[in-house]
Amino acid sequence: MGKKIVDAYKLDVLKELANIGMGHAVTALAQMLGEEKIFMDVPVATLAPLQDVPELLGGAELPVAGVFIAADGDIQLKILFVLPLDSALNLTALLLPGGWEDAEELKLSALLEVGNILTSSYLTALSLMTGLILLPSPPAIAMDMSAAIISTVMAAAHIQDDELVLMQTTLSSQEKRITGQILMLPDRGALNKIFSLLGIR
Amino acid sequence: MHISRVKIADWAVLKGGGILMTIGLGSCVGVALYDVQQKIGGLAHILLSKSREFPQRAAAFNPAKFADTAIPLLVQEMERVGGKKSRLRAKIAGGSQLFMNQKIGNSVGEKNVLTTRQVLGELGIPIAGEDVGGNYGRTLRFFVESGLVVISTVGRGEKEV
Repeated sequence: MGKKIVDAYKLDVLKELANIGMGHAVTALAQMLGEEKIFMDVPVATLAPLQDVPELLGGAELPVAGVFIAADGDIQLKILFVLPLDSALNLTALLLPGGWEDAEELKLSALLEVGNILTSSYLTALSLMTGLILLPSPPAIAMDMSAAIISTVMAAAHIQDDELVLMQTTLSSQEKRITGQILMLPDRGALNKIFSLLGIR
Repeated sequence: MHISRVKIADWAVLKGGGILMTIGLGSCVGVALYDVQQKIGGLAHILLSKSREFPQRAAAFNPAKFADTAIPLLVQEMERVGGKKSRLRAKIAGGSQLFMNQKIGNSVGEKNVLTTRQVLGELGIPIAGEDVGGNYGRTLRFFVESGLVVISTVGRGEKEV
């Protein structure tokens, strides 16, 4: 048996990091949305077999919108904000002024911006906690089946292990008109750096 | 009909009939190999192109993850059940660039397709059909009885390869 990349204690630490990062992200989103209340679940940090990850978003063929950001700098990680297509449409309807709801390009750019704000506030929180410099790439967006989107992110991360560490948080609005998830995939080297900065061996 | 689901970085072989299926090919490539005489079908869902680019191989190395190791493995497994390399024909799908307005992920899909073609070429396996590139994901169904490969998408309908 090979040694596990992380143990249960380290997963708890990652969960707490995700919790703080997501708290910032959700606050930022709530400010954009005004009336609509946004709730977040307690983040989950898991060590998942590579082959099961595309299923984690609730169905491999589920049509979703995904906003993807790669962070570089002291460590490398990938962040994906995913939401089912109907949620994405509800979200853009809230953000766009009346009369513009049908403009496809504006919808895309609104989603891109929400993803950008969520993920960069998450990164900022992570950076403040750890002192690591994190430089986010410009956000990129795709709308497709969830397995295609998440596997493309895994390929972009050049995952070399057969298990990967994943931090996942679900957020939803009051009447579930909007639900979404934020996934964070740290590189293997990134994990080691985070743990050593926090004094965890 | 028996359906065998192939997950990411995974493979399967069926003989005589049934469906080999893989869901959600983005930058990944699905490689379907067929021995028409023996009605043997093999399908691999590869994530990355070259295992050589990952010098620190994990202890539990999974050859199905990379084009350069998955395709030879699939050939070997098909020969194990009576297939013959010289009779094999390939159909490939995937290698798309899902994310708009950014380069990340793009080169991965292109590289996966290039390497897949190259590995098939080295093994002398002709490509009988393909549906690659673009900016959308694909689900692949391979009907082993007939050798037919059907690609379905979100909002772009179905297509036979």
